[in-house]
Amino acid sequence: MTDITATSAGSAASPGRSLLALLEAAGPLIALILLMLIGTAMSDSFLGAENLSNVFTRSAIIGIIAVGATFVITAGGLDLSVGSLSALVAGMTIMFMNAAAATLGDGWPLVAAGIAFSLAIGAFAGFVNGFMIVKGRVEAFIVTLGAMGIFRSVITWLADGGSISLDFSLRDAARPIYYGQVLGIAVPIIVLAVIAVIGELTLRRMRFGRHVAAIGSNRHVAFYSAIPVNRVRILTYVIQGLCVAVATVIYVPRLGAATPSTGLMWELEAIAAVIIGGTALSGGFGRIWGTIVGVLILGFISNILNLTGFISPYLNGAFQGAIIIIAVLLQRDRSQG
Amino acid sequence: MLNKLKSLVAAGTLAVAGLASPALAADAVIGVSIPAATHGWTGGLNYHTKRTIDRMKEAFPNIDFVLATSSSATQQVNDIEDLMARNINALVVLPFESDPLTEPVKAAKAKGVFIATVDRGLAEEGIEDLYVGGDNPQYGKAAAEYFKKKFPDGGKIVVMRGIPTAIDNIRIDAFNEALKDTKIEVLDMQYANWNPDKGFEVMQDYLQRFPEIDGVWAGDDDAALGAIEAIKQADRKNVTVLGGSGMNKVIKLVMDGHDMVDADIFYPPTLIIPAIELVTMKFATQAPINGRYVLGSPLITKDNAAEYYFPDAPY
Amino acid sequence: MSLLSFREVAKSYGVVPVLKGIDLAVEPGEVLALVGENGAGKSTLMRIAAGLAPASAGTMLFSGAPAPVTLHEAERAGIVMVHQEFCLAPHLTVAENVFLGRELTRGLFTDRKAMETKARALLAELGSAAPVRARLRDLPVSDWQMIELAKAFARQPRLILMDEPTAVLSATEAGNLFARIRAFREAGGSVIFTSHRLDEVKAIADRVAVLRDGQIVRVEATSAISEDAMAEAMVGRPLAEIYPPRRGAAPRKAFLSVAGLCAPGTVEDASLDIREGEVLGISGLVGSGRTELFEALLGLRPASCRSFVLRGRERRLPGAREAWALKLAYLTEDRKGKGLLLGKSLDQNVALTSGAIAGAAWIDRRAERRDLEAAVGRYDIRAGRLDVTAGALSGGNQQKVLIAKTLGVEPDLIVFDEPTRGVDIGAKQQIYEIIAGLAGQGKAIVVISSEMQEIVGLSDRVLVMRRGRIAGELSGEAISENDIIRFAMGLEEKGPQEEASP
Repeated sequence: MTDITATSAGSAASPGRSLLALLEAAGPLIALILLMLIGTAMSDSFLGAENLSNVFTRSAIIGIIAVGATFVITAGGLDLSVGSLSALVAGMTIMFMNAAAATLGDGWPLVAAGIAFSLAIGAFAGFVNGFMIVKGRVEAFIVTLGAMGIFRSVITWLADGGSISLDFSLRDAARPIYYGQVLGIAVPIIVLAVIAVIGELTLRRMRFGRHVAAIGSNRHVAFYSAIPVNRVRILTYVIQGLCVAVATVIYVPRLGAATPSTGLMWELEAIAAVIIGGTALSGGFGRIWGTIVGVLILGFISNILNLTGFISPYLNGAFQGAIIIIAVLLQRDRSQG
Repeated sequence: MLNKLKSLVAAGTLAVAGLASPALAADAVIGVSIPAATHGWTGGLNYHTKRTIDRMKEAFPNIDFVLATSSSATQQVNDIEDLMARNINALVVLPFESDPLTEPVKAAKAKGVFIATVDRGLAEEGIEDLYVGGDNPQYGKAAAEYFKKKFPDGGKIVVMRGIPTAIDNIRIDAFNEALKDTKIEVLDMQYANWNPDKGFEVMQDYLQRFPEIDGVWAGDDDAALGAIEAIKQADRKNVTVLGGSGMNKVIKLVMDGHDMVDADIFYPPTLIIPAIELVTMKFATQAPINGRYVLGSPLITKDNAAEYYFPDAPY
Repeated sequence: MSLLSFREVAKSYGVVPVLKGIDLAVEPGEVLALVGENGAGKSTLMRIAAGLAPASAGTMLFSGAPAPVTLHEAERAGIVMVHQEFCLAPHLTVAENVFLGRELTRGLFTDRKAMETKARALLAELGSAAPVRARLRDLPVSDWQMIELAKAFARQPRLILMDEPTAVLSATEAGNLFARIRAFREAGGSVIFTSHRLDEVKAIADRVAVLRDGQIVRVEATSAISEDAMAEAMVGRPLAEIYPPRRGAAPRKAFLSVAGLCAPGTVEDASLDIREGEVLGISGLVGSGRTELFEALLGLRPASCRSFVLRGRERRLPGAREAWALKLAYLTEDRKGKGLLLGKSLDQNVALTSGAIAGAAWIDRRAERRDLEAAVGRYDIRAGRLDVTAGALSGGNQQKVLIAKTLGVEPDLIVFDEPTRGVDIGAKQQIYEIIAGLAGQGKAIVVISSEMQEIVGLSDRVLVMRRGRIAGELSGEAISENDIIRFAMGLEEKGPQEEASP
């Protein structure tokens, strides 16, 4: 490695370099805009308020999970169990609400209790994952892969292979969580926005977020700099669990049921969104707004494919994969020290 | 056909129960290999399989069963090899896919194992001794006939396909064939993978794209449930939704009368029941069972819904 | 005919000139040293010679013909570079690394036995006993340098370029390397190496070229120039005493005492005091446990002890965060791997530890910027722009950033582990002044160093370690290189009986 001081290397051709840097940083946003232009060109219904609202609302579920995933990945970890955890939380929460309706009635108190129950399970599952990975010193990939299998097995067993449904009398109380609107904006979108803002501020401007990035950047340096490495790492998994719980709370009222295919592949979509958005898979740098853009890109891709008969449905997967690769190519390699 | 089978089984069971003396047939081991419970239909399949095995075990304690569920075709190949290692006398198999499973099943047949295939055949003819299956072409045809009757002067319908497999292709081909030369217009066919979440999303987007939709064939009941919610949210009226497979929730809707759903197509996971029972009979009472039994896929309407309703099953 | 000659060679990165009109020749069978402050252009010149970067102007000849301009051509012509930052694969074995890219084959398969035998032989010539089957990541850093050198010799070069080859080596290992270089020279090979250690330049090089600001300011036979003259030529101004004057030997209060400190596998039964206002030097061979002892003391590795007294009060050994909170600071020897986040900005790095201990939940970016500017002023950190990443700085400036970061918590005890490794003479002097200044303020200072001169020059008291134990102690006037070496090698015993070893 050379010993060139910053004076010589850094000041060369400044204006060109900073424009390029800006372009790299805005990569995912550019990809999103391009995609929206394609959508507008290919279908008249694309830019309609209702269509956009639909897509944003649908994306909120993966979006909230992906915000949690951004924290985990920025700290250098990985959580493959989020989809299965969603199914488990959904099923258990429905069972809880069905059972508790007798004592709590079928109005808001029951819904509130259900939400609290979900958050508790999500946080606990996240904590167990985090504990095994950090204190048990087992690879995150392995622990969460195992958890993925365990969570889904448990819910399949609880459901006897079928679906778990919210009793009809309770559905009305829960419906507004997905279908309701506040000031004309769907509730899930508001929840996503709030969580995204909190997430971005935490990651960028709060000490905790800085520690998360430091640990992902170089865990040894973090340890030698008095950062409470273990505590922070476990917390990222707890945050992920909480995000899964919130996402599930939003998901359940949509169909009023948890099925064996609930949450299938959600982990891959969430992680893909995080990467498309510019967060480095190896850790050290996280971008929540990028994650949200990534989620929207994924949502719009499947929306456009549905709105146009142009691409043979057999090729949907190929189209999706190609767009994802292009979106990532538009930003350069972000694996810094 | 189904009733004939049922009487045969009933007679056999009574015969055994009536006899005071112990086991007629030699001890036998029956291996059962089915897909794991990944979605509603397979969930029901697993439920009925287990219940049937338990019932058969109780009725014929001298017959052993080994159950293996697999989440993919490759895993199923391994499972069948494991079953062979346990010296089974008969194999009841619902192949994940016909092609990859043909060789292992053929190998089992060569070793003298009695082969019963369920729902899907194999790539080669003549391997199985017993076939119990649904009628996929009739499934697609029944859906087409339903819409033809519903919209005799023509109508616009959208279709949701299932998981990209041979079965889905057969049904859709039959559906398209039956709609030729009619005034029914199929606006589009996208994949919803027999999945309620995907059904919801695809339906939402269809509603955006097509201001006029008269009917929806969702492919199966899981996707239909998702489609129903999407239509409800968009507040669109006069849309008819047809699913398939006979899920108890949807049959209930048909029974109670629903503004969108008034029919279903029979294609239940209960078809595993006769397969297991027949094979058990072969070893328990030496009943002759070889043959091909194709269970019909009739349309379920309010009139006959009660006959197909299993409220306690998961599907 | 010269082996390698530069004629009017110049190099610019964009509009910034790094080398201006270099005229230099290296003869066959010669060892030439390149010295200069960081940023003077030594590494750039080496990279051009190795074919890693093209010159912007001028000609370079190798044995009279135009010199190779790509790494590949250079290696084929017999020019091999040994890097300051290792180009080794941590997951592979020693033998595999030595032959990386040029594996020996037998038919279609790699001939592992032949590679291992040859690697062992090459390492033996360098005086290294690193096990050829071991994976690199399980071996200490000094072994890595030896393996890097073995890798170079395996290519049977005519000219070897070495960048700071002895930075991580102990005196013994450096000696072995020099013997190998001499043998290479006898056989007609040539070596160009850069170094900050002027005593080594005198010891092994035939000639020395001093670079300053991209130009060669002096070329002399090393026998004809003193170390001080070299240093002055590098800096361009007369040098005052490198080491700050020693303070008086007044009796000092004990700040910290530990007895029976043990870290499994590395430190055994160590007992010592650290006193206020004193610089305690820690010496010993590489691997004697110096770093491990202080990491153990400050919670960075698992350890136990019989007693631990801090500021007059008995307590248990602190954990890593606790130590910092107690104002006990450790400045790591591995500034790139454990000290700084190379991909993050300077202000973030400087604020990292103090933020982790006492920072508010919300980050005050403006305050961090102000702190960085203050640190740049106080420690003379040279970074073209303040918003660069830490990885863009030179070694010496990185070290100063690390010092700013460590002192940011205003500690009462600071352990400096190899504070001037890979740092040029100008920055070294500044760091020595910082250390002396801290001691003058009454802080308790520990300096771990493998440079004997540094220990002797800085310390009020010296502890020498050997094989995980404290082998001896020297104070004040009694501190001498000789005595330190004798303790380090076990030739003199004080304290627990040890077998005398050769």
